[in-house]
Formats: sequence, C-alpha cells, structure tokens
Amino acid sequence: MEKRLIKKDALAGIAKKMAGDFLVWAPVKKEDNILFEPLQKDAEPFFAYLNSKNAPKNVFFPHTETLIKYTRTEKGMVFSEDENKAKDAVLFGVRSCDAHSFALLDMLFDQEKYKDGYYIAKRQKTTVISLACVKPPYASCFCTSVDGEPVSSEGADILLTDIGSDYLVEFVTPKGEKLTKYFGDTKADAASETRKTEIVAKAKDAIKSKIPAHEVKPILDKNFDNPFWATIHGKCLACGTCTYLCPTCHCFDISDEVKGSDGVRLRSWDSCMFPMFTKETSGHNPRTSQKERWRQRTMHKFKYYVDNFNAIACVGCGRCVMSCPVNIDIRKIVEDISKL
Amino acid sequence: MQNPYIPYPVVVDKIITEVDTKDIKTFRFKFINPEDEAKYNYIPGQFGELSIYGKGESPIGIASSPTKKGYVEFTVQKAGVVTSALHEMEEGEVMGLRGPFGNSWPLEFLEGKNIVIVGGGFAFTTLRSLINYMIHDDNRKRFCNITVIYGARNPGLLLYKDELDEWGKRTDLNLNVTVDKGDANWKGREGFVPTVCKEVAPSKENAVTVICGPPVMIRFTLPVFFELGFSKENIITSLEMRMKCGIGKCGRCNVGSKYVCKDGPVFSLAELDKLTPEY
Repeated sequence: MEKRLIKKDALAGIAKKMAGDFLVWAPVKKEDNILFEPLQKDAEPFFAYLNSKNAPKNVFFPHTETLIKYTRTEKGMVFSEDENKAKDAVLFGVRSCDAHSFALLDMLFDQEKYKDGYYIAKRQKTTVISLACVKPPYASCFCTSVDGEPVSSEGADILLTDIGSDYLVEFVTPKGEKLTKYFGDTKADAASETRKTEIVAKAKDAIKSKIPAHEVKPILDKNFDNPFWATIHGKCLACGTCTYLCPTCHCFDISDEVKGSDGVRLRSWDSCMFPMFTKETSGHNPRTSQKERWRQRTMHKFKYYVDNFNAIACVGCGRCVMSCPVNIDIRKIVEDISKL
Repeated sequence: MQNPYIPYPVVVDKIITEVDTKDIKTFRFKFINPEDEAKYNYIPGQFGELSIYGKGESPIGIASSPTKKGYVEFTVQKAGVVTSALHEMEEGEVMGLRGPFGNSWPLEFLEGKNIVIVGGGFAFTTLRSLINYMIHDDNRKRFCNITVIYGARNPGLLLYKDELDEWGKRTDLNLNVTVDKGDANWKGREGFVPTVCKEVAPSKENAVTVICGPPVMIRFTLPVFFELGFSKENIITSLEMRMKCGIGKCGRCNVGSKYVCKDGPVFSLAELDKLTPEY
C-alpha cells in the first residue's frame, strides 16, 4: 500500500486543488453546523471539526433525487430517464464511522439481483477520503461496539491519520491510488507508521461508551412480543430526526410532482418513525403505534440487517443520541435488551 | 443493466368492468416496445407496479397467465390516488408498468400434486393467473386434481364471470363458486367460503391449498383445512403490504427480516409462523 506524509496545514489546499478538477464534498461551516457540501470556489473546508451534523450519506443517497422525468404530449405522458450522470467526485474528510456506513449501505443498494443504479453510479465515481478520529470527539461515540474503530480504513479509499505534525496518508484502494499526485511525494517512514499504531490504540481506548450490540441479536430473535417494547416510545415525538441523521438509515418514498406539462418522479428520504410509512390505502396499518415503530427501528439495526447481511446497521456515530429532542438513547435501549 | 425504477411504456388495450359496483376493473396492457414483453417474463403470483405519471405507482398482482401472449392483465379496485386515476383511463392511453416483482406461487412445489384453490372476493386475481396457467394444454398434466372454491358477497361481485362459465364446463377442474347471498337470478351455491370448503372437503392426500382472500375469510377458512389434516407447509398464501420500490430497498414492506416485495408476497403458513406477526 502506498503511504505518504503531508504537512497538516496542507490539507485544505489539497482539497481546494482537487475541487478545481472535480466535485469535492468537504466539511464546511454553515451557520452553527458542519455539513458536507460541494466545495465552492474560494470556500474554506473546515477539517478541525468533530463530526458533521448530518451523515454524509446524502452524497450517494441524496435527500431528494430524480428517478425519471416525463412530459405530457399528444400521446399522453412520455418519460425519459433523468440525465442523472454521476460526476467524478471526492468525499473529503469523512470520519471512520461514516465511511463504515457506506460499506453497510452497499450491502443493500448493490445486491446481486436488484441493483440500485442511482446509488451505485455515485459510489463508483466517488473516492472516499477518511479523516480518522485520533481523538474521538464525543462521549456518545460507540463505534468500537458495532464493528468499527475510530481510526479505520473500512469504506475508505484513502485514510488520513493525524500523527502530530503530519498526516499519514494511506492509499487503501486502487481508486484511492489514482489521487496520489495530490499528496506530494514524501514517502511515509517507519517512524510514522509506529506513531500511527500508537495513535490507533489510544483512540480505541478513548471510546468509553460501550453497548452489547452483538449480544442482543439472539435476544431479539426471541423477544418480538416482550412487554419491554412498550417502554421506549412514551416520549417519542415521531419527528424522525434519528433516522434522518443516521448514516445507515436508507428508507425512502417515491412520489410524483407535476408542473404544467412536465413532471418528475422523485425519491426522498422517508422514516419508519412516521405513522404514514406503512399505512395502506385500506386504512390498515401493520405498525399501529410508535411502539411498533421503535421495535422496527431497533430490530432493523440489530437483528434484521444481521439476518440479511450479517452486519449490524449501526456505526456508533451517536448522532441519534445527541440530536433526539427527548433524549431517547439507542445505547440504553440495547443495554436494556441485553438484560431481558 | 435494466433500471428497475424505469417503467415499461404500455398502452391500455382493453378495460373490462368486472363487478356491478363498477369499482373493480380489469386492465389489459400491451407493451409499446415489443421487446419489453419478453423482458416482462412473469410467473403466476408475481406483481407489478402500475405507474401513472403525475400520480404515482400502485403494486398490483398480475391477473393474467403467462400462457396468454401479447398482453398482461391486472384487476384493480378503485381505492387510492393511483387506482382512481387508473379507473379514469380510457382504452388507448399510455402509462407505465414496472416489474414483475416478488416470488411467485411455488409452481415446482405444486407440480404433481392435487391443488385446492380457495379465493374470496377481489383477492382472486393472482389465483386466476395460476388457474389459467395450470389448465393450459401445455401444463395441465403437470398437476393432478384441481379444485377451485371461489366466493364473493353477491353474484354481482364475482370476477371473471365468462371464465367461470368456461371453467365450469371443464371436466378436469372441479369448480365451486359460491356467494354469501344470491339474487333472483342466482342458481348457484350460497354460503360462506369456509362452509363451502367444509362441504367440498378436499382430501389432504398429496394436496396443497393455495388461499387468498380477505382476512376474515382466511381466519375462518384455515381451521377448516387444519381439520382436514392439511399441514402448514401445504397451505400457501400471499401477503399485501404498502410498497414503493418493489425491490427490497425502500424499507416499508418488511415482515421481520423478509421483504414482502422481494422475498414474498407468497409464503406458506409454515414460513409465516417463523416471521413476526406484523402485517
């Protein structure tokens, strides 16, 4: 694997240089939030961030995306595929937990039988550069409980690790190697690798929040009807914030919008927290209350995804924990389930 | 790679109003591009997404049999936005069709067995597909006795009346049509589907029941078949859930870890027992 060193203050310049050549998604300050946005000319990327407010899943799975376009003609509506040509892009500086989420989303969108071309095209065209968490940013981080690590190349094409005065740049995949020219020509020495090993261990130790994420699977297998499920949702507002911020939540709605003679069919993020999500035309709703919706969300992440893909659909970023307006904490839910 | 979100353009070739209340119609679609028909290679029990630009999509079971070439049919009740728009359509209009989606009636499992078809009301559509498939000259000898028990609330609500007449004349199909309550012209059987099942009393020997109907019918019919000795492996049904994508991505039609759109809609009772009862 190709490894290089760059000076820490060179990072923003590299991102800006890349932005001259292709689409670069980078963390930028927007009002009080850090968000991944296309890096505009003269804009400064902000790499001294903890983590972004939103998960960067929108790079591959936009909040709203056009599936098809159509036009009214004399013969009725005629549709055309949206010229949704994915562009060469770089996702610059995502945290290891969020990069891990891409590997999880790939399992769903890039299956053998049904491939989601919209997602896959953007994934293929985008190089993911991870910026490792050498100092895990939040007390609510729990990546190490869900098969992640604060310094990890999972889901990344290039991994950047802050080793003091420099960043160690590791070109993890052939896709990442195509961008070596942007990262100078200082080869990484043995000392920098030793330094990284120390940092990895330290970062891992710094994750203090632990949940028994693997232990709950056999318990969930047997406890669909446990009265416990009635104890989570009492204060839930069904706002959907947890699912919108979640790096692995991927449920969507498909809807049509028409203006004059032209229309589009869109897909937009949807949420299992919403009562209408499963409501049928007849009025029947298989998930009648927020209790069933919370069971679904929990089961989907810690049982159903494990059944289908042998992976937990949670990366331990803690966004849902930090942003829930009524302090529902998935860590406590998992902890409680482990004691059932 | 075929984009599964892009509908095939189809023309509404024929519309048949099935019932007296006029809210259930069969729509016959022809593919505008002939090569699309070959791509739409379906098996009885699968479903399609009927796609009306500007309105949306509706997942509906395929009512025609793949043995009928040149078209595909769906029998649709007028209910929500999309199906209401569909009911306003006229022959010759163009719309979209996606699919075919889902698993299917388990044809290989049914082969060489006595088949008992039990249908109620408007849920008879994919069973009609299966019956027409099985009684086709190419397929009939692959299946043993075929018994059909089909009920509706009243004679005016029976679907596919012409076909029922034809099937009634066949000697290789035991057809039992019933209505909850007949009218002045009704000469056929009266009685609820569970009762008729008890009367017909199909043997469990080498037999499989394929059942589709309103929940209340299913609830009272299943005990009849348990009493007749049918095992849960040999009772097959089809589920409905709200769906959007049809390919197991959008996340709303799961029952436990199975997606009804992709892993279903057809399940045996034995399989359903293993799933969470959330449908």
